Amino acid sequence: MFGALATVEGAPLAVLAEVAREFSPRIEVCSPREIVLDLNGLTRLFGEARTIAEELRRTAADRGLRVRVAIAGTRTAARLLVRYRAGLTLVEPGNEAAAVAPLPIGLLGEVANPQSPEPEAQSLEVLATFRRWGLRTLGDLAALPSDDLAARLGRQETDWQRLARGEDARPLVPAVPEERFEQTLELEWPIEELEPLSFVLGRLMESLEAHLVQRDRGAAVLHVRLRLIKTDGTTRDVHERSLQLPVAIRDARTLRTLALLDLESNPPAAAIDRVTVAVDPTPARIVQFSLLTRPLPTPEQISTLMARLHALMGEERCGSPVAIDSWEPGAFAMKSFMPPDANALRSRDDTQRHRDTEEKPLKDPGAAPIVAVRRFRRPLPIRVHVKQGKPSSVSIMKRGLSGGAVDSCAGPWRTSGAWWEARTPSLDVARDALSDSRRANPEPRIPDPWDRDEWDVALADGPTYRLFRERHSDKWFLEGVVD
Amino acid sequence: MAHPAVAVLESALRARKLDRTLTTTLPSWEWTDPSALLPMDVPLVDACLRGGLPRGQLSELSGPCSSGRMTLLLRLMAAATQRGEIVALVDTCDRLDVASAAAAGVDLNRLLWVRGSGFGIRGSGLGPEPRDHPSTMLGVARATVEGQSPETTIDRALKALNLVLQAGGFSLVAIDLADVPPVRLKQIPFTTWPRVQRVIEGSDTACLLLTPEPLARSAGGLTLSLAGRSTWAGGSDRSRLLQGADLRVRVVSPRKRIDGDVRVRASAF
Repeated sequence: MFGALATVEGAPLAVLAEVAREFSPRIEVCSPREIVLDLNGLTRLFGEARTIAEELRRTAADRGLRVRVAIAGTRTAARLLVRYRAGLTLVEPGNEAAAVAPLPIGLLGEVANPQSPEPEAQSLEVLATFRRWGLRTLGDLAALPSDDLAARLGRQETDWQRLARGEDARPLVPAVPEERFEQTLELEWPIEELEPLSFVLGRLMESLEAHLVQRDRGAAVLHVRLRLIKTDGTTRDVHERSLQLPVAIRDARTLRTLALLDLESNPPAAAIDRVTVAVDPTPARIVQFSLLTRPLPTPEQISTLMARLHALMGEERCGSPVAIDSWEPGAFAMKSFMPPDANALRSRDDTQRHRDTEEKPLKDPGAAPIVAVRRFRRPLPIRVHVKQGKPSSVSIMKRGLSGGAVDSCAGPWRTSGAWWEARTPSLDVARDALSDSRRANPEPRIPDPWDRDEWDVALADGPTYRLFRERHSDKWFLEGVVD
Repeated sequence: MAHPAVAVLESALRARKLDRTLTTTLPSWEWTDPSALLPMDVPLVDACLRGGLPRGQLSELSGPCSSGRMTLLLRLMAAATQRGEIVALVDTCDRLDVASAAAAGVDLNRLLWVRGSGFGIRGSGLGPEPRDHPSTMLGVARATVEGQSPETTIDRALKALNLVLQAGGFSLVAIDLADVPPVRLKQIPFTTWPRVQRVIEGSDTACLLLTPEPLARSAGGLTLSLAGRSTWAGGSDRSRLLQGADLRVRVVSPRKRIDGDVRVRASAF
């Protein structure tokens, strides 16, 4: 048994849905003015269908709504009737076709499209066809032979006839109410330190985790709201922190650790008397483990590790390096460390192999190692004696790096770039502003101009250096050590 | 048959759970599971290591400047990341060249790079002064001048190493102490390294130290002493190019009876 509820005048849908949910958890929003309820099993609570309809109308009136109510054995019949008849309409189960037969055929256009109260162009076209055939009521359409109708309009259009008989084309799709994942705890005594706060957070997170598990959801964003009491005891402020989580997490210990580490870096300014934690839910992760690859740390472990490293070393100093497509010497960027799954790599390789007729090896295990450079982020100023246009000796003022006569050298390799970037104060300000955004997104960045001659230099006593001469200042610098 | 005194000593060590220091309790090296090794994918070196660096042990790469420490480290990382494993580098003095790592074949997405703030070179206690910097380099990678003392820098690096090891799941965790002055290295409490070993014991993680001279390794770990010399191509001054380096790798592990000496040729990119 289904009931249809429609407002006579424009009223908020939320209020109408609230009225409907007081009677049944299974409701379907059909249009901004119309809701269908599943009333099966409600007779034990409320009584007969008439009693339910009257209760619905009375409850809506208490909220200031004037509604039409129709109750029938099918949703379609209830919807057709509630649109055409005012007041209460009751149809005994099995009499739907007879009840809707006198209704005008134009109602089908409204009911056929559940998303919009206005009939679609295609619906209007079909309805026009029916009118040309002389059909005026739903009963006229229902009485037509189904096979002949399908032969003329196609099998798909026979759904119109089912609607005209008051039959349902699909089951009810219940609307899921928006759920808030939030926990709050009022404290009897204000908390001034993080250690006791960790116990409070742990308790709240456990409740939150249970709620998330129940709904098969994970947290995408974690919000921590702390109500603070100033020293005068009356002024109240809210300290709010939001953590964007890399993956859906619902483990209470991980969430608590992440919140605490964030609060260690951004402590509240006063004592706390109310703690609220909330999450933005997202569908939970489905993890497929593999027997063939070594297990990687879980996203929860990586998130906790990165939060601890950020607190220890600084946020911009931990992550994965990104090689930038640039000729700028030593250019790189950092991004958050989130290793791809090994299974993803394997499946990608498989896809690639299927795509290519010839298998390409991913690596050459026997190849010679590539010589690496240990780079100084800020090149060291050095003294270089030049003889016949080549460095002949190098002296380095820093302990730990030896200088001496040059045994072999190669160069100069002249490079320059970004000379088109004018070094103006406004540009420096813009660059400083970009440095913050670069943490989250390595692009774009403004390179600094460079113009220099590079040399590879091996000293007689062993070390091999990479030097360069800055052309506009004629100064020499040590850029790195070949190691 | 063992001497009775030795048997008594061994039983006493077992009673105090110190028997892991006994060579007799070690499994035979020849029967070691290949999955317990971290190969470098350099055939000569792997043959000398009898498969690779042991997982769950603290090993070290030591050598002077330009001896190929970073070259072999990046090779290890490239081999591990190409197998789908993840690696971490605690870069005490912030010396990693990202272009070199990419050229070596390291999958950068699988590399966790923890950058220390550095403290200048070998005990100077200060970084280079900003007025000496070439103006062209200021924006390349703005290293923050945090005014950290060497002790603080090393302490933070060791804490970061411990955090990464505690997290688990990394096949290789390396800490670069190559530019830390030996005086500072000797000031690190000796108990640090046994603690590191205890953290990784029984795990799949190989911990690697990059040091200017042998510093510490676990009983089951290896020491790779390196020496290198750059090689050049081209006869004339104008045509000369840095071709690569000849690396001499000496593997030292008396306890596992590995003692080899190989030469590896590295090429420039």
